[in-house]
Amino acid sequence: MTAPILRVADLTVEFTTGEDTVRAVSDVNLEVYPGRTLAVLGESGSGKSVTAQTVMGLLDTPPGRIVAGSVVFDGTDLLKAKEKVRRQVNGEGVAMVFQDALSALNPVYTVGHQIGELLRVRRGMSRAAARKRAIELMERVRIPAAARRVDDYPHQFSGGMRQRIMIALAVALNPRVLIADEPTTALDVTVQAQIMELLTDLQRENGMGLVLITHDLGVVAEVADDVAVMYAGRIVERGTVQELFASAAHPYTKGLLRSMPRPDREADELWAIPGAPPSLVRLPPGCAFQPRCDVAVELCSVQRPELTAVAAGRSSACHRREEVFHGRA
Amino acid sequence: MSAPTETPAAAVKPSPMSSLKRFVAKPSGALSLAALVVFALTGLIGPLFVDKPGGLGTDILQPPSAEHWFGTDDLGQDVLAQVIWGTRISLTVGVAASAIAIVIGTALGLLGAYVKRADTWVTMVTDLMLSLPLLPLMIIVTAMVGPSVTTLTFVIGLFSWPEVTRLIRSNGMVVVAMPYIDGARALGATGWRIVTRDVLPAVVPLIVVSVLLTAAKAVISEAGLSFLGLGDPDSWSWGRIMLNAQRSGVISTAWWQTLFPSLAILLLVLSATVAGVRFNDSRDPRLKDR
Repeated sequence: MTAPILRVADLTVEFTTGEDTVRAVSDVNLEVYPGRTLAVLGESGSGKSVTAQTVMGLLDTPPGRIVAGSVVFDGTDLLKAKEKVRRQVNGEGVAMVFQDALSALNPVYTVGHQIGELLRVRRGMSRAAARKRAIELMERVRIPAAARRVDDYPHQFSGGMRQRIMIALAVALNPRVLIADEPTTALDVTVQAQIMELLTDLQRENGMGLVLITHDLGVVAEVADDVAVMYAGRIVERGTVQELFASAAHPYTKGLLRSMPRPDREADELWAIPGAPPSLVRLPPGCAFQPRCDVAVELCSVQRPELTAVAAGRSSACHRREEVFHGRA
Repeated sequence: MSAPTETPAAAVKPSPMSSLKRFVAKPSGALSLAALVVFALTGLIGPLFVDKPGGLGTDILQPPSAEHWFGTDDLGQDVLAQVIWGTRISLTVGVAASAIAIVIGTALGLLGAYVKRADTWVTMVTDLMLSLPLLPLMIIVTAMVGPSVTTLTFVIGLFSWPEVTRLIRSNGMVVVAMPYIDGARALGATGWRIVTRDVLPAVVPLIVVSVLLTAAKAVISEAGLSFLGLGDPDSWSWGRIMLNAQRSGVISTAWWQTLFPSLAILLLVLSATVAGVRFNDSRDPRLKDR
């Protein structure tokens, strides 16, 4: 496999709220390869969005604080880079698609103006050329009658169309990595599928690395190549999508897969992982998942398991990873 | 997917004309705007029709009559002429001082809203300025620099920005927290670009309102300082007319000499305030009956 284009190494991010310090992201390692899709899977508060914000340099400091780690894009550590380098990378190197496209577009400018402004500033295009390119980009993200809609304001578009505009903005400078932070959460199911298809098509055309931040297992199964499962700020399991769905090596992943509604499974009730995610302020000692785990042993409440390999390309942060992986627990 | 979709009818851009129409649709908007226009015209072209008051007249301390609509003062000068010439100075000082206050206030407000590290300082200086007793300070500074129209303008302008800063900062912070600011940062926009292209346009309506309110306050300050004898001795202003009445000891008998400039101040401040409120309401999409 080629070298990763973006590498997040040992990233730890804390937030200070009053007297409490919350560790939202702990020792996270991620690699994004060109042309591959990495899904970061986790529920609300698992730290996946904070990781994305840190990569984009959007973290508010304070209250946030990057305690340790690096974000290396194409040989440059973005966390140590100068403001100017950082800005250059944003948009051209790494771009981001946000969850809520209505609020992520400026309501007072037309979409054509917003795409065009980006091209004028970053590519030095003339007004006319930028407008022409904006229409092309809108066509590329399959907005019908793009030439006519280029002068419309964000609120005049439907949710799905707005998300397409966001994607057009994000790919306008041909970034090498695209981070999509729950890009389909605010959309209805039929539109979700179209947006995901659009993202994977663009990825294929550009050879971009795609980071998909999501809590939707269906989307992960559909488009991801690699998966990193996050729980309480840590990566608990990694692997390729096929392997991970075939045999999870962490009880949390197992629980997630089990709680997924599936037509081929005849059950009156959906299964749910018992309990609730822990408060990041007061994490339980040992493994953060241990209070909800059905295979926990004594060791789990004493010592925190490290992320350790179970097979080639597979790792899990569980004391009983071998047994879970081989289906013995 | 490729079927053309009709552009919704609502896509028609709101023209500047329609927002002006909406502004004057309510009597409060129409009346206040009319009053402001009358004041502006009076200040601009009024002095072309009326001689600058000066010298000594024969009709001293005349109450209002057909010949002297606003009466005369103890030197026999026409009070109407004084009010008209005073309009020019009062409006000039009001508008210029308000412009200074708006520029400083907006710049500092945006700085505080966007740059977290500067915010502590901006807030501290603003709070400090707001807690100072302004009138005595203005008196001291004006007296030290020497009274003139320029001095008055700068002194009033340089002491009026904190309220604008506070308003712009608090509303700018709401805009800065919007996801589209993060969106702009994610695309690599510079701080300057974000502040001027994203934050500033969002607070422009507030700036319009505070121009009106600050100008109204500046007119009052100007009248107050002139009444205290810190005005320009060579030019007429509404405050100076009242100062003359007070100096010559007729303030309690020649009521016309204080009534008319006071009315002018009252009307101007009232119409500026009402116009500001009306502007705010006419732009508020949440108000059904706007």
